[in-house]
Amino acid sequence: MPPVETPVEKWAGKIHEVNLGGDARRLVVGGETTLPFLHFEGAIPHPPAVAVEVQDRPPASWAPELRASWGEAMEDPASWAKKAVEYGADLIVLYLSSAHPDDQNTGPQEAKKTVTRVLSTVDAPLIILGPGIAEKDNEVLVAAAEAAAGRRVALGFCEQKNYRTIIAACMANNHVAVAKTPVEINLAKQLNILICDMGLAPDSILMDPTTGALGYGLEYTYSVMERLRLAGLQGDKMAAMPMFCTVGEEAWRQKEARATEGIPAAWGDIATRALRWEELTAMTLLLAGADVVVLRHPQVVQRIKATIQKLMTKE
Amino acid sequence: MSKFIASAAIRGGQEIVKEADQLLKETLEKYGPEQKVGFANTAYYLPVIYAYTAHKVEKLGDMIQPMEQAKALLPRRMPTEKLWLPYLGETLDAGVATLFAEEIISGVRHVMGVQPEKQNGYTYNGPIDDIQLRTWGIQLVDGRMPGFAAIVGRAKTNAIAVKIVRELQQRNILIFLSGNVNGKGIVEQLLEEGVELGYDTFTVPFGSDTISAIYALGFAARSALTFGGMKPGQAKDVLLYNKNRVHAFVLALGEVDDLKYATAAGAITYGFPTIADTVIPNIMPTGITKYEHVVSMPFDDIPGNDDMERAERLIQRCIEVRGLKLQITKVPIPVSYSAAFEGERIRRGDYQVEFGGRGGVTFELLLSKKLDEVEDGKITVVGPDLDAMPVDSNQPLGVVVEVAGRKMQKDFEPVLERQIHHFVNMAEGVQHIGQRDIPWIRIHKNSVARGFRLRHFGDILYARLHADFGAIVDKVQVTLYTKQDKVRELREQARQVYNERNERAANLTDESVDTFYSCTLCQSYAPTHVCIINPERVGLCGAYNWLDCKASYEINPTGPNQPVPKGAVIDESKGEWEGSNRFTYQHSQQQVNRMTLYSLMDAPTTSCGCFECIMMIIPEANGVMILSRDDPSMSPVGMTFSTLAGMAGGGLQTPGVMGHGKFYILSKKFIPKEGGFKRVVWISSNLKEELAEGIKEVCQRIGEPDLMDKIADERVATTVEDLVAFLETKEHPALSMEPIIQ
Repeated sequence: MPPVETPVEKWAGKIHEVNLGGDARRLVVGGETTLPFLHFEGAIPHPPAVAVEVQDRPPASWAPELRASWGEAMEDPASWAKKAVEYGADLIVLYLSSAHPDDQNTGPQEAKKTVTRVLSTVDAPLIILGPGIAEKDNEVLVAAAEAAAGRRVALGFCEQKNYRTIIAACMANNHVAVAKTPVEINLAKQLNILICDMGLAPDSILMDPTTGALGYGLEYTYSVMERLRLAGLQGDKMAAMPMFCTVGEEAWRQKEARATEGIPAAWGDIATRALRWEELTAMTLLLAGADVVVLRHPQVVQRIKATIQKLMTKE
Repeated sequence: MSKFIASAAIRGGQEIVKEADQLLKETLEKYGPEQKVGFANTAYYLPVIYAYTAHKVEKLGDMIQPMEQAKALLPRRMPTEKLWLPYLGETLDAGVATLFAEEIISGVRHVMGVQPEKQNGYTYNGPIDDIQLRTWGIQLVDGRMPGFAAIVGRAKTNAIAVKIVRELQQRNILIFLSGNVNGKGIVEQLLEEGVELGYDTFTVPFGSDTISAIYALGFAARSALTFGGMKPGQAKDVLLYNKNRVHAFVLALGEVDDLKYATAAGAITYGFPTIADTVIPNIMPTGITKYEHVVSMPFDDIPGNDDMERAERLIQRCIEVRGLKLQITKVPIPVSYSAAFEGERIRRGDYQVEFGGRGGVTFELLLSKKLDEVEDGKITVVGPDLDAMPVDSNQPLGVVVEVAGRKMQKDFEPVLERQIHHFVNMAEGVQHIGQRDIPWIRIHKNSVARGFRLRHFGDILYARLHADFGAIVDKVQVTLYTKQDKVRELREQARQVYNERNERAANLTDESVDTFYSCTLCQSYAPTHVCIINPERVGLCGAYNWLDCKASYEINPTGPNQPVPKGAVIDESKGEWEGSNRFTYQHSQQQVNRMTLYSLMDAPTTSCGCFECIMMIIPEANGVMILSRDDPSMSPVGMTFSTLAGMAGGGLQTPGVMGHGKFYILSKKFIPKEGGFKRVVWISSNLKEELAEGIKEVCQRIGEPDLMDKIADERVATTVEDLVAFLETKEHPALSMEPIIQ
């Protein structure tokens, strides 16, 4: 059989390189000049990063399987983050969940305290997320931004309806913004443009195109991410931001990751199934172009890290 | 540039530079060059000098260099009577020299321990610290604070001073206070009236003289360094950042002396205009500032019933001159307001009052006016209000909305007017249908009981027009008429306007414009689809015409409607231009090279999925059929709308099949290359009926007055055989045209 030549695409664009972290530990994501793991075609200077989700108070609604895996560490975000780093997390996503008005409605002072404690415990770069209520997000993220000055963290979520305050906080303290849009390529791009219009540099944005879990719209997510990445590689600078995916959150809220009763025997053991659900979701999104995947289960962190390492090995 | 202002500013600059130089020398002798200098709690040294030159002033000796620069900046000569030069440059240089000198004097005052200033037992604020800068800076950047006002001097009376501050506070505008006229300044006036000053009330008393106004510009300079990512010394970028993003202005109250002119010239370099309440020359052309540079508004000449009204207008004018945009987030009415109430129906028996409907007299008219003809937020009800009308009665209503804005265009009037329906309908207990002279409105008894009155229509329109169309609308005033005679009279005038608009729309041709607009909203599911919307062809969905897109672009310049310059013509009859091709190629993921806007057969427009109609050739009939989205029946080609849509949609370009908007059928640019409307052999009956009037006109226009009856629909033909038989009986002209497939 005659040898088949591998078709090689020449891309005009490059994904922005986003720097995170302080002097003690830096992390760069992005910088690709080709599609995921196609080493023969272009450069992939930095492996996709694995983040672990840490909440500022124990998440009561998490599956028992998950809670058991972290144990007492969950009682304190700093210890949780420390343990996450021991499991191999490249960075920590710190959810200020307690600030939600339906939760403990904590304010900027508490946020400042939590962020300061986590930052003084771990060197790993931080991504800080608000509770998802515009008013509260602005309150706690501005405080968090000040507390994290000098450590270049990422702050989110900036959304079309609420991004200006968070962006201002990013600009004032040299942080990175996480821009979230609802599974739509044009909206993703437009939000990036709006953020850049305010004066934040394109290399200070991570974009979350919003992801679904395996079996819950994953293929649609995949194709939006793929198209964003293609647009970025074709030279569209406003679509060339590294992508950020909240995998754990999506995977662990699905029935398949939680149900133990009233399901077919073929579904098998819950622990195996739930972990696979998170792992497969993460793997799929990495293949779609994710640069940061946020995971919940420590074993999945290790599995994904190992898989990334294999995929990053050039033959 | 006004020669008077130039001379005054240059004189003022020379004076203050001399004073600073003298003071610096004396202080150097007394304290020595190693004496530490700096404002409290800031990392930006003397911020104006630092931003302009990157020079760090940490010790007294460090001031020598900027002092020399200030001297060097001063123009060597004054404008003369004989030699007329464009002295803008000199004036601005004198302004910058003034700022340096003022900052040096302020620095020296810190060394001397007389800052913050104390007078008559009151301690002024002095410069703003970095912590406060960040807190306010974030609000200025994210838009919660529209800008800041640097007030210098003294108001005509204490009451006016208070009014001015209240007007600004009400709009969330940050207020910096300094200066005096003949020894007394606005800070003293406010203190006498018991006004609370300080960070908490957004009012910062810098000091009692003009020099302390330098802290306002220091604040602005630090904003650019903190939030704009500028490096010190990038003077041009720092200044442009301030011009474009820090919405500040100077309000000079009372007599303007040379130093004030000189300081104002310095402020102009930042793009901050000056508004004076006394008679001074105007500098109206735009350039360094976004709009006017210097505006004189002599207080006593401001129209108004009393000084309070005059003060209000003065602030209005300041906002206009700087182009501040106010954020309005809540619609202030006594009933709920949300999209959930949009489709609400109010039945007979439930409504308190009904306007319009059968036999009713109503109209809604939105007009654009000059800025000085509209009083923002003024809402007037002429005639009886809801609670004074008999229950269950039908009443006349005329709604006149007058808007003004720097970017408002007459063409946007109908675009905004159509929003009235949408805006008003979202109020709980208000049902609104129709527009122009056919609105039909019902208001629920419960809403009236809860205090809803006609003025709340005005409140809704005021809030929503500002919130949604703030980019083009600066001022809104609403008048509601409820007296029969008046409404009838005004309705006649309104009808004239509607007619003019109709004519304008009819005359708006593709040839008469050089720019089309794109719409890429549908790319979420049809990634390669690009709508190019021209005056004579609406978007495929029918929801966007050319004017809508034009307005949409002004409102949201990064949105889905972008201008598409036509560029050189390739083929006018097919509607093909270099510009539209280029745009389509770039925005279709480089999938569509060519796209004609009028041809069905040669590179037709791509089809998204939400087109109102789909057109397809029927070779056997030598014509085309038009199938409407609302028509579920079988078409002669053996496919229903949904099957056809699935085939043609998704961003594909399929010669012979094309999605389009309903009104394209009536356009003069309807597939001219294929022979125009004469090619139409079949139209869904519902569409034919809906557009009957228009289609008849088209038939007249193309010289085929009987054509309407020769066009088949699903009632006479759902197969090609039946269709051809019908066309032959009727002698449809398409049969004798040249073959549609060549």
